[in-house]
Amino acid sequence: MSWLIGVDVGGTFTDFYAFEAAAGTVQLFKCPSTPDNPARAIIEGLAELCAANGIEAGAVERLSHGTTVATNTLIQRRGGKVALITTEGFRDLLEVGRQTRPHMFDLQRDHPSPLVPRALRLEVTERITAGGQVVGELDAGSVASAVAALTGSGAEACAVCLLFSFLNGDHERRVGEALAQAAPDVKVSLSSEVQPEFREYERFSTTVLNAYFQPVMERYLGDLRRHVGAALPAAALGIYQSSGGLMSIDRARRFPVRTAMSGPAAGAVGAIHCARLAGRPNVISLDMGGTSADVCLIHDFEAGIGHERDIAGFPVRLPMVDINTVGAGGGSVAWFDRDGLLKVGPESAGADPGPACYGRGGAEATVTDANFVLGRLSPDGLIGGRMRLDEAAARAALAPATERLGLAVEETALGVVGIVVATMVRAIRAVSVERGLDPRDYSLMAFGGAGALHAGDVARALGIGEILVPPAPGILCAQGLIVSELKEDFVSTDRILLAGAGTGIVQAHLDGLLDKAGAWFEAEGVDPAERTLRVSLDMRFVGQNFELSVPIDQQTGGAQPRLPGARELHDLFFRVHEQHYGFHNPADPVEVINVRVTASAALPRAAAAAGMAGEAAPPAVSSRRPVHFDGDGPRQTPVYDRAALAPGHVLAGPAVIEQFDATTVLHPTDRLRIDEGLNMVIEVGL
Amino acid sequence: MKSPAPDPITLEILYNALKSIGDETFIALMRSAYSTNIKERRDHSTAIMDTAGRLVVQAESSLPVHVASMTGLMTKLLDKFGGDIGEGDIFIANDPHVAGGTHLPDINMAMPVFDGGTLLAFMCNIAHHADVGGMAPGSMAGGMSEIYQEGLRIPVVRLFRGGELCQDVFDLILLNVRIPEERRGDYYAQVAACKLGARRLLETAGVYGFDPLQAAFAEIIALTEKRMRHAIAGIPDGTYAFDDVMDDDGLGARDIPIRVRIDIDGEAIRFDFTGTAPQVGGNINVTANATHSAVCYALKALLDPEVPNNQGVLDIPELVIDKGSLLDAAFPAPVAARANTCQRIVDVIIGALAEALPEHAVAAANGANTTAVFSGTDPRSGSGYLYLETLGGGFGGRAAKDGKDGVQVHITNTSNLPVEAIEMEYPLIVESYGLIEDSGGAGTYRGGMGLSRVIRPVGGSCEFNGAGERFTHQPWGLFGGGAGASGRFRHVDAGGGETALATKPMGVRVDEGESIVIETPGAGGYGAPGKRAAQALADDLASGKFSAAYLKRHYGYSPGEE
Repeated sequence: MSWLIGVDVGGTFTDFYAFEAAAGTVQLFKCPSTPDNPARAIIEGLAELCAANGIEAGAVERLSHGTTVATNTLIQRRGGKVALITTEGFRDLLEVGRQTRPHMFDLQRDHPSPLVPRALRLEVTERITAGGQVVGELDAGSVASAVAALTGSGAEACAVCLLFSFLNGDHERRVGEALAQAAPDVKVSLSSEVQPEFREYERFSTTVLNAYFQPVMERYLGDLRRHVGAALPAAALGIYQSSGGLMSIDRARRFPVRTAMSGPAAGAVGAIHCARLAGRPNVISLDMGGTSADVCLIHDFEAGIGHERDIAGFPVRLPMVDINTVGAGGGSVAWFDRDGLLKVGPESAGADPGPACYGRGGAEATVTDANFVLGRLSPDGLIGGRMRLDEAAARAALAPATERLGLAVEETALGVVGIVVATMVRAIRAVSVERGLDPRDYSLMAFGGAGALHAGDVARALGIGEILVPPAPGILCAQGLIVSELKEDFVSTDRILLAGAGTGIVQAHLDGLLDKAGAWFEAEGVDPAERTLRVSLDMRFVGQNFELSVPIDQQTGGAQPRLPGARELHDLFFRVHEQHYGFHNPADPVEVINVRVTASAALPRAAAAAGMAGEAAPPAVSSRRPVHFDGDGPRQTPVYDRAALAPGHVLAGPAVIEQFDATTVLHPTDRLRIDEGLNMVIEVGL
Repeated sequence: MKSPAPDPITLEILYNALKSIGDETFIALMRSAYSTNIKERRDHSTAIMDTAGRLVVQAESSLPVHVASMTGLMTKLLDKFGGDIGEGDIFIANDPHVAGGTHLPDINMAMPVFDGGTLLAFMCNIAHHADVGGMAPGSMAGGMSEIYQEGLRIPVVRLFRGGELCQDVFDLILLNVRIPEERRGDYYAQVAACKLGARRLLETAGVYGFDPLQAAFAEIIALTEKRMRHAIAGIPDGTYAFDDVMDDDGLGARDIPIRVRIDIDGEAIRFDFTGTAPQVGGNINVTANATHSAVCYALKALLDPEVPNNQGVLDIPELVIDKGSLLDAAFPAPVAARANTCQRIVDVIIGALAEALPEHAVAAANGANTTAVFSGTDPRSGSGYLYLETLGGGFGGRAAKDGKDGVQVHITNTSNLPVEAIEMEYPLIVESYGLIEDSGGAGTYRGGMGLSRVIRPVGGSCEFNGAGERFTHQPWGLFGGGAGASGRFRHVDAGGGETALATKPMGVRVDEGESIVIETPGAGGYGAPGKRAAQALADDLASGKFSAAYLKRHYGYSPGEE
């Protein structure tokens, strides 16, 4: 017996997904999160999970953990006291940023203040040029003064951010050494290590965030390691990173900023896993919860990787699974804007008081109230009937809008759902159509508490013909954690004209990165057969300033990826440019800005939870109720218990399928089939 | 036959789709363009116009001053080509005097979108090209005295006819601009954005239908106008006035007055600029449509920042401006640096309405669009280069918080170019970039600080051209707040000797070892300095943003005193 356990800590629940490979056993578990110390829910939950299912502590081989500790630290401003050491003349760069306002017309709104106060932004005399040459030697006296100022300040962490360190990290390294010597307790983040990439403000911001997270994450991960070590002596602990792979706990302590998008990335990887089991290489995932919806485009079983996003108003430049988050959830509130248009979200009623129908004092109409009034949610309520819903409260909350619009309450409710669907449609268009991809070529995978409730409407609006609902839609992130790879990204930045000697220079960068990747594989003890290396180049036309990521080669099993010739590299770039912008200029010179290598190691993974094939008898209808699907009035609709659905079962819409923490709406013209992996596969009758 | 207006729910869903189109085209243009102004600094805008040339949707990040150019172009386009607009045509223009533009570097583009042979709408965009020819690199320097010097004037002409590029026109344009291969890329990026938007609009029309879409355009505009009128009705009726001055026009005219009288009567608002100076010889003149967009910016910022940007806002203000004045300049007035003047228009409007809207008003911000252009020959490649930047400065003190330091204000919100991008791309070194000590005006809520940037050429000499404002007149404080520091340009020679430069210097030679110091203005404070919180003063000192001497002088503050 050997168990893999994924644990995803969310705002409300801590989810566990445990898998035993030999017997193919899956156990799911949920317990309330403990935001004051997230490790407590993990440790207590693990104990309960193991006790309830007879899992021996020594039989747990790996614990994979997705964490929102870093992100919450930032939102609540509970990070460490951070200092910054930067190039002389540039200490305000972190504060000025890109000198823009967050909103063109709002005189009162500002970007957040920097995480390092000005008095702790220290300077050293040095200068490296755009060619990577030192034109100003690092002045030892200035380093000594900066270090002295820092040690006297009580700073717990320090970001070292010098200009052009992505080309030459020597000065940063030396400042780091001086800090290590004089202040060994201070956590140090070097921008040349955190993310050695071009554009100083984004690099500095990322590095400062890393330093800000370090003290908190050091304590948290240290605690967790100790407790897990005691409770599960044989378990290796992996921490989930935003790029969609696991890292060791030591790397997580050095680079906590990499966990900033840990949870949503795990959801995307869970979706990929389910897509594999369902044999659908191209999927758009829709993870809709109480306050927001995450969408991600998966092409050929791979999620797109983005390299820049804002986290709580601070830019972060790192490889991250390309997830688009919008304020559209079950708790999103409906309201009228000043011009009389009905809007839904991004304000959310949250978990408390929650939607009006929860009966906890919420008075504003939410998406959940609308769904309830439409009959799409069971009056017996959520979480398997543990929470009854209050119909009178839902109707009362929708009444003011209904009156103002002069519609029936059900029509208003359909409007609220229609608008929240439009928000999600816009988010999906941003990751598909706006990148030159047609959503109709994809299946929609719906998960999270509210994903499957809205998937039918979303698919219709986008012309998507198929919806997949995985067996455990409420726990997909935890599932993603146990099917993940160990992963590390390497990057080298230069400006290389892709002509003449250019490919040789790219090759030299690539060789250097492959060496680093090899060393990482060795350090992590990865068997050559399990190694995968992917090469991509960030390319642009000379004179442009935004690069496009161009996949170049991928090798598995110990073989080295290869770089094609200049001609083919051009063609690969042209194709991507054409796809994104609809044109390319074949005569114009092309340059490479970043060479990237992603190293990953396959870990033992969960197989399909095998279902019983060929069930003959149709499933029993557990109840019937009137449900509104469109403006044509209610239809008496059968309700099924998902647990009663087995592979081979087919249902024709209309129907509602209920399970512990999710509800699926099958529209009248849709057909549903349960596949071997227990996924619901819905054919949308467009 | 007119379709009835869609219900508020359908309208909201449709409006979402239209906003997506605006934003998608904005990003596509930014990412594929060549001019640093566009690709890094986002000095561009995209929009959807209806068949009458009315603004329906503008991309969220679009610049206020571009609104005027886009509607200006549409007016001229419909006047000139009304009956002769065909499928696959793309029109361009830039001229402020005959083609609705506001200055020449902004290249305006409009593509009619036909659905089943009937005109549905126009996809428009505008982008600030790094150069449009004329006597100075960057086409933005001070010292130019007529529009011909500022660059190539393009009336409304076709760049594409029936889907075919008009190569002759394109060749003519490219021959007249510096670094034509990059400019070609910018035009391509704009064309691609038009075509992308057209495709999306047709998809949307396919879903909702031609007539409902037309009805939605009208309804969106009508609802916005109603919303805005309602906000205006909230301002107490009466007459409000304010005046201020521009430093100079770069050619010797100084202290050029701008005067406004605002009459509010219920839902109507009238801006009378009578008493403003006549147009000047230098290039700080503004055409009427740019004045119009500055007025609309101020209204939206003061009354309702979230109101959608469309014709419903543009139709609100009644303007009274003397033809031939600084704010409605006539041919052949030069206008390249009109953004500085637009900032002052915003200042006088906010100044006038401050007593009526004290919670919303802000003290004078840096009031400029401080422009710096470095050009020369790159010794590494032997080819010409041109680096243009506009720098932010202080934002004015506010009713409940300090003004932001080092930020773009009011009608502009362009990014800076990263130091590493400047040095990788041009033979220049940035020696320092930071906030200027003591530059924020004193107040209960102090004004924001100005920015300083020091740049020197490497491996050869370069030429510097610039345009500054609020270099001689400081940004004023509000309700007892003090004035912010003014800005300046300086030339530093190899020995460290400094020479003050004009506010709008032209053709300054900078040799290797020498540098240019750009210092932008701070901003005014809000409320009496005596009421500033002790903790805020302690922070001002501890952060090093203000000197002990300054705090003593303006607040009577000494460390240790409470």
